[in-house]
Amino acid sequence: MTRAISLMVLAFGLALSAAAHAEKIVGGLSDRQISINSGFAGERLTLYGNVEPDTGATEARVAGPFDVIVVVTGPVSDRVVWRKDNRFGIWINAEEVRFDNFPSFKWVLASGKLSDIADPAYLDEQHIVLNSFSDLVQATGFGNVVSMRSQLVRLMEQKQLFGVDEKGIVFQSNTLYSGQLGLPSDVPNGSFLAETYLFKDKVLVAHKAEGFSVRKAGFERFVGEAAHNYPLLYGLTCVILAVTTGWLGRLVFRR
Amino acid sequence: MQIYLPIAALSLNLFFLVGIGGAVGFLSGLFGVGGGFLLTPLLIFSGIPAPVAVASVTGQVAAASTSGALSYWRRGGVDLHLALYLVLSGIIGAFGGVAAFAALRAGGQLDLVISVGYLVFLGSVGGLMLIEAARSLLHQQRGMVVREKLPHQHNWVHGLPMRIRFKRSKLYVSVLPVLGIGVMIGFLGSLLGIGGGFILVPALIYILRVPGSVVIGTSLVQVLAIMAASTILHAINSQSVDILLAFCLMVGGVIGAQFGASASQYLRGEQLRLLLALLVLAVAVRFAVALLIAPADAYSMSGFGVGGGA
Repeated sequence: MTRAISLMVLAFGLALSAAAHAEKIVGGLSDRQISINSGFAGERLTLYGNVEPDTGATEARVAGPFDVIVVVTGPVSDRVVWRKDNRFGIWINAEEVRFDNFPSFKWVLASGKLSDIADPAYLDEQHIVLNSFSDLVQATGFGNVVSMRSQLVRLMEQKQLFGVDEKGIVFQSNTLYSGQLGLPSDVPNGSFLAETYLFKDKVLVAHKAEGFSVRKAGFERFVGEAAHNYPLLYGLTCVILAVTTGWLGRLVFRR
Repeated sequence: MQIYLPIAALSLNLFFLVGIGGAVGFLSGLFGVGGGFLLTPLLIFSGIPAPVAVASVTGQVAAASTSGALSYWRRGGVDLHLALYLVLSGIIGAFGGVAAFAALRAGGQLDLVISVGYLVFLGSVGGLMLIEAARSLLHQQRGMVVREKLPHQHNWVHGLPMRIRFKRSKLYVSVLPVLGIGVMIGFLGSLLGIGGGFILVPALIYILRVPGSVVIGTSLVQVLAIMAASTILHAINSQSVDILLAFCLMVGGVIGAQFGASASQYLRGEQLRLLLALLVLAVAVRFAVALLIAPADAYSMSGFGVGGGA
């Protein structure tokens, strides 16, 4: 009985929310698969989309103005942050905090100031701001975890692996938007997630997620796999290459 | 022209890599040293992660020392018997060095040990070389004849037990200091990403009294073997050898070394040693500054388990 009621409440709630938010995002990415080959020096990824009436919505057209935030996150990895301190006259790493499952890439692109688009507390809760992460991020070590985490974010921003661009999304018309994301040359390899949040009057009205991947291709992929799967053979190849290069150099330049 | 380095997982300019390989190769040909002590810090300063820099430079030094060792071999400047002892003990040392490398990397103190290691070894060797070279230059200016210490002059090392005869080096010496030097160079070389030639050559000359005709050739054979072993050990242990990075450095290094060797004919031995001493000391000072002066950014980070694989 209680189960039936709760189901009814749920169905009613869904119908209500569909009526309240009659928009959906149709769009995508310029590239689903980014290949790293020998000439790779970073890449620009174009994100685009159009706001359209949701299937089953009563209105035939949507009314803006809308705001869009796109959060792109990369594969997680384990990272260690150190703080140097002066001990016995020399500067050594004194504090160490390890963050497990920390995103190796996170960029927030928005069509305006984040605090104007939505309530900052809500953005924090949804991990849309740079300094907020899912519970999977686990910190261990000795040191101030909170300050070390913000320092880690700062270091990642310095390397262009983290960032916020509040002019990153531009609306071409009332409903059509596009944006560009720069991937640096040392972009981590793996699966990425681009989450698009559509806001209207500071309220989230639609949400959409898409994946893309960054992979080494061709020779670069072969080298990366060989180094990990056949380390002994890889090391021997390096040595043979070194000895051959040295020997050839001797032959070519023999006086 | 950018080239993507698959293990370092970043791209650098191809001409920059071949260029620093060539510049360091020139110096290594000029002074008869491997050049790892210059190349590893240069790569770290250009943004390559320290573990990748250390592990890849071992490949470059192996190439450079192959060229050198071949030239000395043709002139009969290698004592294979002595080299065999140095190589075997050196490979044992390299195992220790690579293990220490992994332990320190996990503990977060690899940078500190590399900095202090460079400071201590470059500082002391550079200082000794500077004093020695300056003294002989001064003596020459005053017109004094400097009597060099002869190989058959003995010191305390020659009183140790378990003596072995090394024919080509005209030595009859205990095997203990030979093995000790081999282990130490193997350990330091694989830990610090240097060939260790600039420590090995003085050790062979001043401790064992190996004659000048075979000392450089023999040390090059030992450096080649240690660097080959370290490359393989690093590849197995940390997968941090970037074959593309190493190859770019090798090509530059081998070409630069030929020009360096030609240029060395225009300089006198004392002048060369004085210049090398200044160069070694300059690198040591660079590390001292990093340790003693407050860093611009007290925070640093390192990633694990990303960028590798496919």
